[in-house]
Amino acid sequence: MGEKNWMIITHEERCSGCMICQLRCSYLQEKEFNPTRAFIKLELNKTIPTIIFLDDCTKCGQCAKYCLYDALELKEEAT
Amino acid sequence: MRDFNGYTGGLLNLDLNNHEIETKNLTLDSITQYIGAFGINCMLLANNLKPKTDPLSPNNVIVIGTGPLVGTLTPGASRTVGTTKFPASNAIASVCGSMSFGMYLKLSGYDNVILSGRSENPIYIEITDEKVEFHDASNLWGRDLIETTDFLWSKYGHCGVIAIGQAGENLVKSSLALIDKTATLGRGGFGAVMGSKRLKAILVKGKKGIKIANPTEFWKLHAKLYDRMRKYPQRKEWQKLGLMKSLPIGMILAAKGEKAKTKQSSERTYLKKLKKRRIACPSCPIGDKDILEIKEGDYSGLVQYTSSVVNAFGLLLLDDISTYNEAVKGFDIINRYGLDALTIIQFLEFCTDLYKKGVLTKENSGLEWKKDYTTLTKLCELIVERKGFGAILAEGWKKLAETFDDVEKDMLVIKGLDQVLEPRWTRLGTMEFEQIVNPKGAHVASGGSPTYFAPGRPLEKFKTHFYRMGIPEPAIQRIYDPPKKEMGLNVGRLTRYAEDWYTVLTNLGICGRAQINRFYSLESVTAFYNAVTGLEASPEDLRKAAERSWNLLKLLNVKEGFSRAADTFPQQWFEPLKFGDMELKFLDFYGGTEITLEIATQLLEDYYDERGWDIKTGIPTEEKFKELGLHEYE
Repeated sequence: MGEKNWMIITHEERCSGCMICQLRCSYLQEKEFNPTRAFIKLELNKTIPTIIFLDDCTKCGQCAKYCLYDALELKEEAT
Repeated sequence: MRDFNGYTGGLLNLDLNNHEIETKNLTLDSITQYIGAFGINCMLLANNLKPKTDPLSPNNVIVIGTGPLVGTLTPGASRTVGTTKFPASNAIASVCGSMSFGMYLKLSGYDNVILSGRSENPIYIEITDEKVEFHDASNLWGRDLIETTDFLWSKYGHCGVIAIGQAGENLVKSSLALIDKTATLGRGGFGAVMGSKRLKAILVKGKKGIKIANPTEFWKLHAKLYDRMRKYPQRKEWQKLGLMKSLPIGMILAAKGEKAKTKQSSERTYLKKLKKRRIACPSCPIGDKDILEIKEGDYSGLVQYTSSVVNAFGLLLLDDISTYNEAVKGFDIINRYGLDALTIIQFLEFCTDLYKKGVLTKENSGLEWKKDYTTLTKLCELIVERKGFGAILAEGWKKLAETFDDVEKDMLVIKGLDQVLEPRWTRLGTMEFEQIVNPKGAHVASGGSPTYFAPGRPLEKFKTHFYRMGIPEPAIQRIYDPPKKEMGLNVGRLTRYAEDWYTVLTNLGICGRAQINRFYSLESVTAFYNAVTGLEASPEDLRKAAERSWNLLKLLNVKEGFSRAADTFPQQWFEPLKFGDMELKFLDFYGGTEITLEIATQLLEDYYDERGWDIKTGIPTEEKFKELGLHEYE
């Protein structure tokens, strides 16, 4: 999946705050579960969370692949 | 200590008397004997709490813990367990909630926290991977639970928060705590125990990673399970409706002939007028918790976090609460005070009936009782502030029974707690039955089984679930042997295994709700446990640890004076329940047999027998303690 250029579209109002995206991302980066080390940040102390991708994000698309709430949508980036 | 993975190995011992902090390590022996949150909490409580301690004295101890799978991506593993002696029943019990506390606790480097003593001044405790700090909470004391959590979130960013409201501060026995202002923790006065320690809140926010021992195996197991969950046909419906899917309050109102109120609690009302956003606990792909927002009319703009909209809709069951706005607002008031909504509703029902009978008057109670929003809000205020008659209710059902002659016989109370599930409505499944044998009293979480709201499910269908729950074959044969053949199932015997399965899940940190636990089996949770920890446990090891934990909890309560006499069925269950035009009887799971006292007693004895306890006393036998290695606690 990582070979293509992916664009991740966020739908913050659908985000459940399950942190599955962060847990998955952190494991890929650090081989440990640690939301603070994920390249995707969620501000969950809000009624509608803010989803932010850090500059380090490789757009591998795993966060969107694991999201079961349709809050992260994967699209192939136009070249 | 060796790296256990899954477990952090960290145990935090906090003495609130002097604000002293001690960090210890869990031993390998405690981990292998008790396997996780529920069991280790029970063991730590047994080691730190003296029998017959006043639950609201500084000598009471709270243990908070979480499971080895929490914080990993094991789906639905996010539970936090609180264990203490409860003031409403004087029983020692474990209570569970979810949301983010357990995960952040582990990211801080701890599996369990012991809280003892009493702080001189109000405090909140900050736990991170870098420090543990006692903070002055004078500015929060007297503020409500939601304000408190919001304050901590604004100061520290998103973190796991267990907080209490004014009810806990004022030692109200129907107080509880909320995790992340959403998940309830501790019906029966957990809030009051925190309040007695002048502990307003605990926040956890760590950034230590959680490693797993065998990643290849873990991701293989995860991929398989996650794929099943992804393809689960009901998943979208659960995400859309949450517990509205399984507990439609509207059905009860419709049965009562309340057309207008049925509409107020309908799916349409929920989706169009209330639902703001679905929320889920960390790692949960089903997600059934709610953020609600009243979008129009009275209380417009009110935002509410809750484990389900059905909690708020439940207030519509009160005769004179007629709109969803009032129900949500009423529930908001209850939450803010940190009260138990179920008990408050039952107080209002019961006291209004006493008012109609002339037992309560405006003079002796301070209220002209009606089952409406205004009375509800005044009732909460009286209880929380312990004003006049409110001071009696703040002490609970027992105090009310002592104050007025001849009222106890009408109370539907089990070991000091009002019943949660009415078997004349739902028939006799394990959840209904477990209210009787649970050391804590009326409580439902630990009695879950395939009988959960499924009357009519074919007998053969149960077998798949029995195997999934790890029930041994000879026990399955006994479960299929009820006091009367036409009952199909022996709910007494099945309850023992419902408790064991619940305890296995709770030990590991996995959600016990049907929509998550249906995906797991004793075999599969053992595989996850071994992949995460690197230990080589067998399914039987997990089941045995659960049995050991449950028996230790029972032993602690035996020392508190609980025996068979406490496991008494409410007399009302054997009388018809009038509901609208209906008269409901106490029937077995399939509805063909009326449960008499004789049958109920047989089921109770079958439960004891299945547990290996003495049938006459309802207490674990000497042999059982020896078998489980618990004799040191006798």
